[in-house]
Amino acid sequence: MFNPQLFMQLLVSGIVIGSSYALLSVSFGIIYATTRIFHFAHAVVYTIAAYGAVVALDKLGWPWWLCLVVGLVAAVILGVIIEIVAYRPMRNRGASTLAIFLTSLGLTIAGANLIQIIFGSENRPLSGFPMKTYQVGSVTFTSLHVTIVLVSWLLIGGLMLFLRTTKYGRATRAAQSNSQMAMSVGIRMERVSLVVFALGSLLVGVSALLFTLGGVASPNMGLSPILIGFIGVFLGGIGSVSGAALGGFVLGLATSLSGLWLSGDYSPVVVFGLMFILIIVRPQGLLGKAVR
Amino acid sequence: MDYLADVGITILIYIILGVSLNLLLGYAGQVSMAHAVFYGIGAYTAGLLSLPILEAAQGAAARGVTSGLGWNWIPALLIAIVFTFGFAFFIAFPAAIKVTGEYLILLTLAFQVVINQLMNSLVNVTGGPYGLTPIPPLSLFGHQLVAPTQAIWIFVVAAAAAFFLSWRVGESPFGRLLKGIREDEIAVRALGKNTRLVKLTVFGLAAAIAGMAGALAAYYYQFIAPGNYTLDLSIFIVAVVVLGGTGNLLGTVLGAVVLGALSPALQNIPWIGTADSIPWQGVIYGLGLALIMRFRPQGILPEGLTPRWFKRAEKLAADAATAGTPPEWSLAAQDPDSVATCASGEEGTQAEEVVRITGLARTFGGLQAVDGVDMALRKGRITALIGPNGAGKTTIFNMITGELKPDTGRVVYRGQDMIGRKPHELARAGIVRSFQDVRVFQRLSVLENVAMAVPDQPGENLLRLTFRPLAARRSEKRTLSQARAYLEFVGMADKADESVTNLSFGEQKLVAIARLLATEGDVLLLDEPTSGIDVNSVNQVIDLIQRLCRFGKTVCIVEHSVHVVGQLADHVYFLDHGAVIEQGTMAALTSRPHLVEVYFGT
Repeated sequence: MFNPQLFMQLLVSGIVIGSSYALLSVSFGIIYATTRIFHFAHAVVYTIAAYGAVVALDKLGWPWWLCLVVGLVAAVILGVIIEIVAYRPMRNRGASTLAIFLTSLGLTIAGANLIQIIFGSENRPLSGFPMKTYQVGSVTFTSLHVTIVLVSWLLIGGLMLFLRTTKYGRATRAAQSNSQMAMSVGIRMERVSLVVFALGSLLVGVSALLFTLGGVASPNMGLSPILIGFIGVFLGGIGSVSGAALGGFVLGLATSLSGLWLSGDYSPVVVFGLMFILIIVRPQGLLGKAVR
Repeated sequence: MDYLADVGITILIYIILGVSLNLLLGYAGQVSMAHAVFYGIGAYTAGLLSLPILEAAQGAAARGVTSGLGWNWIPALLIAIVFTFGFAFFIAFPAAIKVTGEYLILLTLAFQVVINQLMNSLVNVTGGPYGLTPIPPLSLFGHQLVAPTQAIWIFVVAAAAAFFLSWRVGESPFGRLLKGIREDEIAVRALGKNTRLVKLTVFGLAAAIAGMAGALAAYYYQFIAPGNYTLDLSIFIVAVVVLGGTGNLLGTVLGAVVLGALSPALQNIPWIGTADSIPWQGVIYGLGLALIMRFRPQGILPEGLTPRWFKRAEKLAADAATAGTPPEWSLAAQDPDSVATCASGEEGTQAEEVVRITGLARTFGGLQAVDGVDMALRKGRITALIGPNGAGKTTIFNMITGELKPDTGRVVYRGQDMIGRKPHELARAGIVRSFQDVRVFQRLSVLENVAMAVPDQPGENLLRLTFRPLAARRSEKRTLSQARAYLEFVGMADKADESVTNLSFGEQKLVAIARLLATEGDVLLLDEPTSGIDVNSVNQVIDLIQRLCRFGKTVCIVEHSVHVVGQLADHVYFLDHGAVIEQGTMAALTSRPHLVEVYFGT
């Protein structure tokens, strides 16, 4: 039976989830499109942002919004360090995509476990956000939900503006469409890579903090959001911010609306099933151009 | 003792999972992030078959689990193996057809997560997060093998079997195909091999071996739950393989022992203790993975680094060298001076027409790459396609060999229309090609490169390899000696055992020609056989091609060098903008100034 009230509620949560998935996808997509690195360790960057904020709150007692800044700084630093220490030397040596992916995988495993050893395996909340609940008709949502939607799309819009208008943004777009050509006209790939790692890490940090404000931090929290980010990117079509955003958004909406027919247990099945089918029937993504 | 035996069983399970994944990841170059799921599918299959039969009411009480069938573990194990094979074979279709690289990583990741989640969610079948229990223990001759010290022997046998099987398969002609697919799948297809079937089979085989381990583990632990088959385990097994060395099974054993012993060893360090040993294990193997990829990507024991007694393929090759049975048309024995030169410079219209191409056309986007080409290839003649870059020469090759489908036109070979056939079918029918950028299999030896091309090897078929091992071995000997004879023909026999990577580009081109000959195809399409090589090698190649056509091969070359075409070609087609604008002998064409203008752009 179709239930209009349930539908509206799922639609609203779908928009919220979709917005956060869009941000995740964009944060991974900008790194992947520019460097072609399958940056699995993005999961650790996500986690470290949450733990940075939680630790600042618990140990230093700073106001919650300042703790968010600490988390973001931690994320950006870690992302950039991974690029400089791990990926860059491998790229320069001409390592294969698989080798770099496996490095990233190793860093993810090591990072998540190290966090568990240092901070313990228990869930850590990040409290302080002024949570309010709103009721419109039969639909319920919170002030955090509104924040998630606004912040996500503001950042995505800001990123698109950055890529179009600034010097580094244009260099990044050049590198995305053809890195060889970009280098030959004097664009320094190393610097462009640093910029995209910093940006991607910043965005994923925001995503992690928005999540933790309403939930908890835990050592393995990064894995499933990052998988979702991957899927959003491949769903939307590699290489464009708007594609990644759309891919992530559709994914979130579909996950939420699948609740009309399926129990929440099955949402990973929906997410990954969607991608499974898409990879087979349309590997270039929803917005991607057909490859000959 | 029980504790040590338990650790031993864990390591043996890692060995089984590792060697099977190595077939897939190391030999075939196919990344799978879902190995744990196949381990799990084996476990659930066996578990459901062997759970005790419960009355309906009791079954419901036992957390909603439907009752099992009460089977003995041995038949259930066999069913689990077969089922896992079939499941993986089916699920690998997208991977076998087109999914590679990052997409394959993502696809297998997705598969891992979906199936693992279903293990949690399909409570009626799998028992949900709490899993299935009590699965009866392993038993032999009526004795239950509950204690680890007893059960370990079953795992020793299973691990030995898995290792032996993987090694046999990896070092067989089938394994050679796997390595070929890893290096360059298009080149393998161009040699007439059905790579899809090979990929499906290896996905199935790797999964089946993992499924066996899963089933045995289910009986040993007497308990199955989704938490045992997570992405973490899949990643761990990848780490075992990569750390030990991809493509080296002994390395995998080493990797399994080192990583498997890590957690128990850490437990005994006082400041870590039992609780923290698992995360520390994660930190160590995670960092290990990152570091080894950074500093020694080939792993601890790189491919090919194995004790001498272990190298089955080389032993066979050495045997073959002495056996010395040359292929039927005893190539090398022919005296090159006894036959008149091939390029007579006359219009060779009398010779039998082997391939007839009519109205071949193809566009890319708005660009008419090939525009209604008619041509004929004749037996024992050398036909050349020349023309400026972008004239459509290689595109014509791609269409003749089935890599590319023409928009219109026909390719008739010995009276049969070949359009729509797959590249490997065309190659098997006798139309074979070489590539401009040679596309030899880089990490394989010269001999292996050529041996891969020999058609109809029984050892390429897993069933025949398993059930007719002696026949497969005999045929492999024949294959290797044939490959050697072809190498002799091109003058590369002394380099047979070297890795192709160590050869000069000119030598690689010669190996590529030997490989082409080994397919026994009779229409040879050679894409720029002399480009980018030194003068000596050019002369060698020219001589070689002349000898080939004297043996009745139908040869077609794409070539830029006017000198080479002048020496070789009986008939030349001059292409520009995808169409034949002139044809005739080279001498006739060079006398026409407008062609010289098109070609040299003066």
